Amino acid sequence: MTRRISKYKRFMMMNPIIQFFKFIYLSIKVLIVVAGGHGGTRNA
Amino acid sequence: MSKIVVLGAGIAGHVAASHLRRKLSKEHEVMVVSPNGNYQWIPSNIWVGIGRMKPKDILFPLAPLYAKKHIDYKQAKAVSFHPEGDSEENKPYILAEYVTGDEKGNQERVTYDYLINATGPKLNFEATEGLSPGKNKAHSVCTYTHAQEAWIALEGLIKQMKEGKKVKILIGTGHAKSTCQGAAFEYILNIEQELRRHKVRDMAEITWISNEYNLGDFGMDGMLMSYGSNIMKSSEMVEMIFEDRGIKWILEAGVSKVEDGVAHYETLDGAYKKESYDFAMLIPSFSGHGFKAYDKSGEDITDKLFRGFMIVDADYAPKPYEEWSVQDWPETYQNPSYSNIFAPGIAFAPPHSISKPRKSKNGTDITPAPPRTGMPSGITAKLVADNIIEMIKHSNDELHHKGSMGNMGAACIASAGFGMTTGSGVSITTYPIVPDYNKYPDTHGRKLGKTFGTIGLAGHWLKLALHYAFIYKAKMKPFWWLIPE
Repeated sequence: MTRRISKYKRFMMMNPIIQFFKFIYLSIKVLIVVAGGHGGTRNA
Repeated sequence: MSKIVVLGAGIAGHVAASHLRRKLSKEHEVMVVSPNGNYQWIPSNIWVGIGRMKPKDILFPLAPLYAKKHIDYKQAKAVSFHPEGDSEENKPYILAEYVTGDEKGNQERVTYDYLINATGPKLNFEATEGLSPGKNKAHSVCTYTHAQEAWIALEGLIKQMKEGKKVKILIGTGHAKSTCQGAAFEYILNIEQELRRHKVRDMAEITWISNEYNLGDFGMDGMLMSYGSNIMKSSEMVEMIFEDRGIKWILEAGVSKVEDGVAHYETLDGAYKKESYDFAMLIPSFSGHGFKAYDKSGEDITDKLFRGFMIVDADYAPKPYEEWSVQDWPETYQNPSYSNIFAPGIAFAPPHSISKPRKSKNGTDITPAPPRTGMPSGITAKLVADNIIEMIKHSNDELHHKGSMGNMGAACIASAGFGMTTGSGVSITTYPIVPDYNKYPDTHGRKLGKTFGTIGLAGHWLKLALHYAFIYKAKMKPFWWLIPE
C-alpha cells in the first residue's frame, strides 16, 4: 500500500460538512452534464 | 390505433414503455414482452454483492405496476422476428414463448405496428471456458441473483480470513472483449472497504485484471478530465486510487479459461499466464441473443436485422481506427431495413469499439467492448419513444429526436465503499461518451469541465440518492417523468 492521498486531502474527502456542500455542487454539475441535451452528429 | 411492442424490461425497455404510456392516449396499445418478472436497478447490484443491500431493495415486480398503468405485459421471451408477417399473418410480429405459469413453453405471435428491441445483452459466460457464476470460485454481479451468490461466497471467505487464512481476490473482466469495467471497478473498491470494515484487509491480496490497455480506460479509450484545479488522465486517477488502497493490477489481459481458483489469460505481448485466487468476480463478454428473422415467405433475413446485436443507423463499414469518427455512431436507433423497428440501449450493434483496438501477438483481439449501459440506455430509449410518438401522432416518418453517443454526456458515479459517514464514491462525468477528436483535438476528444472526476463521501451519497430516485422513477410514482434519464 502506497499513500497517494494526503491526510489533508483525505480529510476533505471524508468530512461530512464539506462533503454536504460538495454533494449539492456535484448533483447540479452532474445534472448539467447529463440533462444538458444531446443530439445528432451528422448535420452538426 | 397503434400497437407498440417493447421487448425487454430493463432500463431501456422500461423507460421506453413508461414514456410511451404517459404520452400516448389509451386508444394506443403499449405492450412489454420480457422474460423477467422483476425490474432491477442494476447499478446497485454491487451493494448486494457485498451484503449491504438485499435483492428486495433493488427490485420490484413488474406485473402489478404494468396492470395499474395500463401497459400490457407478457412474461415471455422473444424467439424469432417476422417483420413482414408470414403467409398466415399479414401484420409484422415476433414469436414469443412464455417462460412461466400455465402457459410456460407455449408460443404466440405478438403482432405490432412499432417494435422496440430493448433485449439488452446475453451474458456470454460460455465464451470463457469454465466461467459460470458460482463455479470455480468465480462469481458475477451482473444480476441480483449472481450478486447474492457472490456475497454468500465472500461472507464465507471473510469468516476464513478472521480465522487466520490469507486469501487472494481477483476482480475484473472475464473475457478479452468484455465491457462494463466500471461495475468491476466499483466492486473491487467496495470489497476492499468491506475487508477493512471487518478488520481483515491485511489478510487479502486484491488484484484487478482487465482487458484495458491502461487503467481507467473503461471501454471509452480513457479520459482526460478536470480533477479539482488540475487536468488528469483517468489512468492516473485510477492508479492513484489503486495504489492508495493497496490493489495490484494486471492489464492487457484476455481471460480465456477459468479453472477451480485459477484464471488463465493471454496478454498483448502473446504470453500465456495464469493467476490463482480464492474468490473472483469476472465480468463476462456480452453478446446478442442469437435471434433469427424471417421474411414473409419464410426466408432467413437475420442478416438484415442483426450483426450479433441489432443493426441500426450506424456506419458499419470497416475502417481503421484512425478514420473512426463520431458520425459512425447511430442517432435514431432505427433499423435501416424496417423503419418501424428500433433498438435502444445495449441491444443496438455498435459500429466498432470506442477504445483503440489491439491484437495480441497470437492474433487475439484484446479490447474492451463499448459500454452502452445505464444512462445512455435510458436516453436512447426515451428518444426512440419520442420518435415513435411523433410518427403516430403526425403520420410522419421523419425522426426529429436524435442522440448520438458522440453528442451525449454520461455520468458514472462509481461507488468506492458503502457507509453514510465512511463511504466513498468516484464521480466521473464525460462529454461526449464517444470522443470527438475533431471538435476537441487538444483534450483527448472530450470537453474539459463537462469531463471531470472527483473522489469523496459526496459521491457515495449521490450514488445512494440516484438509487432511490431511479427506483422511484421506475415505479412511475407521481411526477416520475421529471427525473432525467
